[in-house]
Order: sequence, then C-alpha cells, then structure tokens
Amino acid sequence: MVQAVAPAMIDDTTIERSPGYWSTVWRRFRRDPVAMIALGVILLLILIAILAPYITPHDPYRGATLRRLRPPGTPGHWLGTDELGRDMLSRLIYGARLSLFMGVTPVFFALFIGSAIGITAGYVGGWVNTILMRTIDIIFAFPSVLLAIALSGAMGAGIVNGLISLTIVFIPPIARIAESVTTSVRNLDYVEAARASGAGGLSIVRKHVLGNVLGPIFVYGMSLIAVSMILASGLSFLGLGVRPPEPEWGLMLNTLRTALYTQPMLCALPGIMIFITSISFNLLTDGLRSAMDIKA
Amino acid sequence: MKKSKSSLRWLRAGLVAGTALLLAMPALPAMAQKTLRIAMTAADIPKTNGQPDQGFEGNRFTGIPLFDALTHWDLSSEEKASVLIPGLATEWAVSDSDKTKWIFKLRQGVKFHDGSDLKAAAVVWNVQKVLDKSAPHFAPDQIGVTVSRMPNLVSARAIDDYTVELTTKEPDSFLPINLTNLFIASPAHWQKKFDALGSVADPAERAKQAWAAFSTDASGSGPFKMVGFSARERVEYAANKDYWDPKRVPKVDRVVLMPMPEANARTAALLSGQVDWIENPAPDAVNVIKSKGFTIKANAQPHVWPWQFSFAEGSPWLDKRVRHAANLCVNRDELKEALNGLMEVPKGTVPPGHPWWGNPKFDIKYDLAAAKKLMTEAGYGPNKPLKVKTITSASGSGQMQPVPMNEFLQQALKECFFDVELDVIEWNALFTNWRQGAKDPGSRGAHATNVTFAAMDPFFAMVRFTSSKTVPPVSNNWGYFVNPEFDELIAKARTSFADKDRDAALANLHARIVEEAPFLWVAHDVGPRAISPKLKGVVQPKSWFIDLATVSIE
Amino acid sequence: MLTYIAKRVIYTLPIMLGVTIVCFLLVHLAPGDPLVSVLPPDASEQLRQQMMALYGFDRPYAEQFIKWLGRALGGDLGTSIRTNRPVVAEVSKAVSNTLMLAALATVIGFVLGGLFGFVAGSFRDTWIDKVASAISVAGVSVPHYWLGMVLVIIFSAQLGWLPPTGAGPGGSDNWVWDWAHIRHMILPAVTMSVIPMGIIARTVRALVAEILSQEFIAGLKAKGTSSFGIFKHIVKNAAPTALAVMGIQLGYLLGGSILIETVFSWPGTGLLLSDAIFQRDLPLLQGTILVLACFFVVLNLMVDVVQTAIDPRIARS
Repeated sequence: MVQAVAPAMIDDTTIERSPGYWSTVWRRFRRDPVAMIALGVILLLILIAILAPYITPHDPYRGATLRRLRPPGTPGHWLGTDELGRDMLSRLIYGARLSLFMGVTPVFFALFIGSAIGITAGYVGGWVNTILMRTIDIIFAFPSVLLAIALSGAMGAGIVNGLISLTIVFIPPIARIAESVTTSVRNLDYVEAARASGAGGLSIVRKHVLGNVLGPIFVYGMSLIAVSMILASGLSFLGLGVRPPEPEWGLMLNTLRTALYTQPMLCALPGIMIFITSISFNLLTDGLRSAMDIKA
Repeated sequence: MKKSKSSLRWLRAGLVAGTALLLAMPALPAMAQKTLRIAMTAADIPKTNGQPDQGFEGNRFTGIPLFDALTHWDLSSEEKASVLIPGLATEWAVSDSDKTKWIFKLRQGVKFHDGSDLKAAAVVWNVQKVLDKSAPHFAPDQIGVTVSRMPNLVSARAIDDYTVELTTKEPDSFLPINLTNLFIASPAHWQKKFDALGSVADPAERAKQAWAAFSTDASGSGPFKMVGFSARERVEYAANKDYWDPKRVPKVDRVVLMPMPEANARTAALLSGQVDWIENPAPDAVNVIKSKGFTIKANAQPHVWPWQFSFAEGSPWLDKRVRHAANLCVNRDELKEALNGLMEVPKGTVPPGHPWWGNPKFDIKYDLAAAKKLMTEAGYGPNKPLKVKTITSASGSGQMQPVPMNEFLQQALKECFFDVELDVIEWNALFTNWRQGAKDPGSRGAHATNVTFAAMDPFFAMVRFTSSKTVPPVSNNWGYFVNPEFDELIAKARTSFADKDRDAALANLHARIVEEAPFLWVAHDVGPRAISPKLKGVVQPKSWFIDLATVSIE
Repeated sequence: MLTYIAKRVIYTLPIMLGVTIVCFLLVHLAPGDPLVSVLPPDASEQLRQQMMALYGFDRPYAEQFIKWLGRALGGDLGTSIRTNRPVVAEVSKAVSNTLMLAALATVIGFVLGGLFGFVAGSFRDTWIDKVASAISVAGVSVPHYWLGMVLVIIFSAQLGWLPPTGAGPGGSDNWVWDWAHIRHMILPAVTMSVIPMGIIARTVRALVAEILSQEFIAGLKAKGTSSFGIFKHIVKNAAPTALAVMGIQLGYLLGGSILIETVFSWPGTGLLLSDAIFQRDLPLLQGTILVLACFFVVLNLMVDVVQTAIDPRIARS
C-alpha cells in the first residue's frame, strides 16, 4: 500500500523555489474544485473532532441494553444505536477524533523521524549514509501491512502500540525521499560553494536543504494519511489497535459486525466514514500534487 | 518426500493449470452419501491426537466423536441432567486397603479404528504419554490440558488385559469424573507412524513427528473415524459402523468440521447452505437465522456467569443479608429477554434435578420486596446507598456479553440501594487477578469479580471457590471465602468413593454454597447453535458436549 | 548490465540477513508467554518452567537465533508449538493459497485498472476521465475489508450466488480448477483487487497522458498511422512501468492479505499469521513473516532486474 515512488517524483524543477512559489501553488489549488471540496470535508471533520464534546447529543460511552441496535432514523438517535445501545452519531463524532488521530499522528511522527534520518544520511554521506539507509532498506523490505500487523501483534493491542507500529512503517519511504533530495541538493554548485566558504552545516541544511525537501515530503506525507487511516482502522478491526470501549471507526466496524444481518445500514456507517475521510485525503493530495506540479 | 510435495504446491501456485492434473486428489465422496457439515468457532481444528485443545469445543468435536474415555457423560437427554456413565470402563471402584488406588474394569471386544484391540495396555500407554517423561511416546504439548483437568492422577498399571489400576496423589473421589477428559488413542497406530520415521535420529524429535503424523490420521475407538484432514481448514469423519454401543452407531455417513472463528462468516455459511450446523451464532443474527427456516438449539450448560464476592476485610458483601438481597434483586427473565433468550436463569451453580443440587433453603429468584427488606435491615436505604465495586472485562471466553450484562445489573441493583461502580479491565488481567485474589492490587479494590466458569467437575464448580486450601495464589477462591464447615464438606465429598455417596456429599456442599451465597448467580450460558431444518435427531443435552452419532439427515 | 544484476543480487544478501534478525527480534522481544497455546491458563510455575526447557525457550536469544537461522538456511523453520506440524509445510500451503488469490486479484486489478487508466489518460480532462479517475481513487480509498463484508451480505447471504468462505468444497488440499472451487475465489479476489486496480489505473493514466503529449505521437498521427498503431505504441511504452507496478502490487497483496483472508476465511498466509499472532505460536509467526518478507525482497529484485533488462537507463540511477 505504501508506494515506493520515492526519487522519481522529484524532478529538476523542485530545486530552489522562488519566494512566490507557495502563493502560486495556492492560486492553482484554488482553481481545482474537487481538491477544494476535499479540503472542505477534511476541515469539517477536524472541526467536528475538536468540537466533539459540544456537539454530541449523547455520551458516546453510555448505552442501555434495552435500546440497542436501533436503526438510523430513530427519534432521539438520528443514526441509531450500536450493539450496546450507545448513540451512533455521538460515537461517530468522537470516532472522528480517534480515527483522525490514528491516521495523522503516525505520518506526522514518521515525517519528523524519516526526514531527520534522510537529511542526516544525505548531508553527511559516507558510512553514516550507508548505515542509516541500509537499516531503512531492511525495514522497507517488509510489505507495509505485514510489518504493521506483525509489530502490533508482537507488542499487543493498544493505541500507543498501534501508533508506534504505523510510524515505523512510514519512516522508510520518507527517509528515502529526504535522502535522495538532500543528496542532490548537496551536490549543487552553490551549496558546494557555501560549504567551501565555511558556512556551518546546520545553516546550510536550514537554508538550502529544508526548503527543497519539505515540499515533496509534505505532499508524500499527505498521501500517506489515507493509507494510515485505512491501516489503523484495519488494525482495530483485527483487534490489534484501539481497544473497546473507545470509539474508533475501525473498531466500531469490528464490534458492529455481529449485527450486519439485522442492521446492515447501521454497520455500514463507520465504513462510510473511513471511506469519506480517506478519499478526501487522496483527492486533496492529488490536487496539491498537480498544483505543485509534482508527478505522481 | 515432503520437499517434492511442497514444490508441487509451488508450481500449482504459479497458476500453471497443467499441474492441477498432477495434483488431482482422491475423488470427493459420492453425492449419495449423507454428510453433516459443521462450522466450529475455533480458529483452527482442535488437536486430534486424543487430547483436544481449544477448550470444551475441542472435546466436543475432536474428542468425543473420535475417541472413547474410561468414563463418559450421558448426552442422551435434553431434559435430564448430564451425568457420568460407563465408557470404556464398565465398572470402577477404589481399593479398600489404599484409597489412592482405583480399579477400572474394561469393556471387552472394543477395537481401535486401525483394527488393533483396546486393552489395558492401551490405557496405561495413554496415561504415560502425558505423565511419564521416560516413555518413548511422551508428548509435552499434551501435558497442559491433561494435568490441569486431572490434577491428582499419577500413574497407571495393567493388572490383566481388561483391568487397569490408576493411582492418585491423595485420595480423590473426583477421579472418575476427571477421566472423561482422558481420551484413549491407539498405541499400535502411533507405533506405525513412529516406525515409518526411521530416518529421524533424535528419539524426542521422532516422537514429536510421529504425533504430528498421528494427528492428521488419528485412530481412536469412537463412533466416528477420521478419514480426511486439511490443516486449518477441515477435518472429515466417516461413520464407524462397528461401534460398540449400538445406540451410538452414527446415522450419517460423513461429518465435515470446519473452523470458522468469525460469527458472521458462520452465519453466512449457514444461510448460503455451505454448512448445515453452526456453533454459537451471533445473538443479533438469531432472528434472521430463524426467519430463514433454521432452528436454534440451546440448553443450559454447566456454566455460571457470576459476581464472585470478596470476603476480605471491609467488603460490604461480608453481610449475608446483603448477598441475599443482591440475589433477590435481579430480574433475570428480563435479562434473558435482552439477550434474545440466549441464557438460562440460574437457581444455583447446578440446576434443580442435578445429582449435586441438594435442595438449598435459599431460593434464588426475583423478589424486589424481600430484597429491599433485607437491605433495610442491613442498614441501607434510598438515602444511604451501599457502594460496591465490581471488575469485569469487555470480552473473554465464556463471558457472554459482559458489558451490557453488567450494566443491566447496575441498573437492577440500584432499586435495592446498591450504588455499583463497574471497572472494565482487560480480559487477561481479569483472569490473572482471579488467582491473585481480592486483596491483590490487581483487583483495584473491587468487592466482586466477574469471571465466568465451567461447572462440570466438582473441583472447578465448587471446591476451588470455597476451600481454605484454594485461596490465592493456589487457586480461584478469589474472595477468601473460608469456613471450616465447608472444608469439612469438601473433605467428605473427596473421600466418599462410591458415586452415589460422592454425589450426596456434593449435594450437601452445593446446598450450603447457595445458602451462604458467595456469588451473585446471574446466568447460565446455553451453548446456542443454529441447524438446518433437514437435520433430525439433534439432542442438545444440559452439557458442554453433544453427540453427533444421533444426528440424521433427511 | 550483468554487473548491475550481480551487484543488485549481492546487495540483497545483507538485507536478507537483516530481515531474519528483524523477524526473530520482533517475535522474541515481544512481551507474553510463548507457551500460552499449550499451557492451561492456570498452569503452575513449575510446569511452565519444565515446558520452557522442553521447547528450548530458556536458552539465550543469540543461541536461539543462530540455531533458528542455521536450520532456516537448510529449509527447516521448526515446528508449530501448538500442532507440532512443520512450519515449512504450513507456510508453503498458505503461500500457495494466497498466491492463487493474489495472482487472480492482480490480474483483475491489472485488467480493470489498465482499462480505466487507459481510457482516462486518452480522454484526459473529459467527463470520461473524471469517472474513470473517480473509480480509481475510490479503489485506493475504500476500506477493503469492509467492502468484503458488504459483498458477502449481498452475493452470499442475500442472493446466494457465491459461497461466503473457505477454499472450496474439499478444502485447499483438494483444490481443482473447477467451478465448484473457483467460485470460492471470486468474492475475495474481487475485494482484493480494488487497491491494485486503483493504483494501476492511476499509474496508467499518468503514463498514457504523458506518452500522448510527446511529440513522436503527433508525428505518427501526421504520418497517418492508424489509431491501432498508435495504441500499440502507447502499450509498448507504458507496459514496462505498468508491469513493474503490478509486480510490486502482487508483493503487497501477499503480505497484506490478512484482513481479506479474515473476512473470507481463506486459508492463506494472512489467516495463518492471524492465528499465529493470537495463539502466540512463535515458530509459526516468525516463519510466516520471514517467508513473506523474503518473497517481497525477491519480487522487488526480480522487478528491478526485469525493468533494467527492458530499459537499461534505469541501471544508471
């Protein structure tokens, strides 16, 4: 699922953006209605997640056995109730918190760690590069889903373990991109010149490397969020991620499964939420890519 | 040899259609045969070496159909209690001079599926495989199940072809009940597997491989013979038409068992006609299954879903009036309705009519007025509620639907001035704490724990919860319910060796347990299964087990 | 060229060694009792110690690792703790089952994805492109295990057209390529194909669009080459990359089949992995992970080599 698109996606135009670059990107992005809608959906979801305590009609953890599995449209419970009689709407709203968190956080951490590894390897080069990148290659030798599941399976279920596993899975591709961009930037004439004139390593990295690396990595990270959402919900679905009674869409799919025959619509809801979120992130990424003119 | 077979498989995997021909396997059974197809809940086929794992589902499907034990459970009635009956042993008695020695007389003329005779030596061999480390066929992976289920058995000795002497660590009248778990596998058949492995030098490794081979082609003496085995997918039996008990000669020709851990997958398999029988359908699917013409079978199992009270210092449950009040405060019929009928209302640990019932003087029922009265007497009321804390889990083997059920109790007990705090912890932590006891920090200061248990064997049903010898960390007397009277009752039961006397002593024990109420009895599980309407003769006894031999297909 | 391949192969060796170490550490450093599948929950400490010794889990990790690696090199991955069955037999059966499924899914994904991608790329920025692209984005965005459940409800439970679970009436050991067995593959394979379908469609769309925008196509058109001729050109130029993506996808499907196999009870590596995880069967777990990871490494190597053979420019980068 995690695509090794790494170096191919950086073309020569990536090197040294002009200061007006981002405003150009934003102007182009705004003209893409699909991407704008996707952005709107994501912002709405984030808003819902932040405001969850203020907008939920019921306590997402409290249910009543006697009013369990009510179909969507039940008065008082617009989207019905789940297998323990908890309000579906409230749980889906709270689920946005945890599901977005589980989707975004690993990518965020992986961006940090992966870039750090990649930039270090690329900038320092030599044996440091060899050691870092060969280690990354070893982790990258595992198919992503397999690695995520094996790691969570070994460490045991839980939010933190799930986050760690997913972060580890996303580090290698990011580190590879960062390394290849850094290496190419390092070898540019004017960077060489800066080095020769005695500029400190850190300032070179900040001035020349970061500016070039962050763009492609940011876009790549965006595309990983959708993957991360699906993987994280998959882990919970298998019983390896978030544990009950927390509301998380993948876990909700899992626990509602037993009612699939009596209340198919109800059971479809968390799946639809995952789908909407992940497709929005994918469309947003596509929009960003074409706005930034990066090839997929 | 193994290698060439697996490389064939690789080729096949390469989607080379031609290799399919090379792999053409023995033809599938002719269509005219009556095949019973069952979906189990286990993730893999329970072990088929004579000591099934996967809990009692293992005994149910890869133990009882394939093998015999010295003693059996009576599975012939849906109404009567399932009691101990003769199996391979026709009679048994403890020795007069030494109460640790038992003499079992074996049934004559019984043959294993491989044609060899089942004699005393075979019984001894099956005891050795788990208890004698020096035996060539010693099987470490089979110890676990055996040792925990027959903790006192030490050794076996053949006196003549049809007489076996079994020795226990200490006098223990429960041995004949324990022995329902010791299935007798064919030594001759295992030896054949062992001999075929001449190339393996290390004897332990050779024995291990022989057991692995035996598992895929097992031989016992039960009403069914194993005829096919596909790891993790299916095991196939054919009727043993020469079975020694004419009442249990199978009516179907074949049985196919498939592991299907997913409740939904089982439901789909039943609804689409892929199987004729599924274990434990999801309660929420029951109505759909019924509406499509399938039958739901359920019957009270020897299982208890309780709150086990703490008798540690400061526990509110130390007051017997409070314990009785809780037992009278719960409308279990309403709970049953909320669970789609998939539970039975308990009257104690075992139901009335069971040999261990014993007519307790305390009647467990729903009587709100009486419950409130007891609570008032104990000094509680609407303005002075009694705070109690219970630990439970969100899932776990046998726990049924712990969270909604506990929430129901929380609501119900509110009527009787209980203020219940529920603490949902992880199943393994809950189970581990069961042995650590109420005083351990792992109990988080709870006054009751909610671990369900099987109540088939007197030790597991009663003794471990009420003996001074089983307080933590030895066994599951979690709440430190210690009472010399009970120790005496238990000692009496353990040393009453005739089945009748033992059952009478256990009945006394059970009556006293109900009267003292160290539990809040909430439910018995009912082992629901959904079966196709074309199946006849499915008898679901009050047991964890079921006899496949009586089933026929129209 | 040959030196490149040789270098590439040699470079794979340390990676493989790293993979074995990761497999071993992953499984052994994890908390939990390795004997949980053969010990009763209320086993005494003494019995536990005795069993640990019998299974060799009381030895130092380094010793266990070297022993395991030594035997693994000889093709022996040990035996499953719970069943005593050789891990190699278990894994090879599971791999062949998953491979069948994944291969079918990849073929479906490649055909459909190629079709959608080609159409979208040829009619870039028209409504046809929009629809085809929407389908491909949906393919990579849908939680496929959920899709599988929905398909079972519709096609098995409601319509009764296709069986919901398992690998055929006789199990995978008695597999034959007849309808009675193949119909068991359809739902899981279709479910599995949505992700590769989406990814291949996106790849092909980009490739086709790029090729069409190049000058030589205009030149061909000007020369009056038939549209079939142009089609052939596009296919010839797009095929290497598309095939490489397909190869990698096959690898991902092999390693990532666990969710789908759980939903459909398909007796492959995913189901084996999930069993091994939940039973804590360590030899089985590390054997399965190792075989899958090696498969992936070798597949990547093959894709690389084949790509290089088609287009030697790649070797330079």
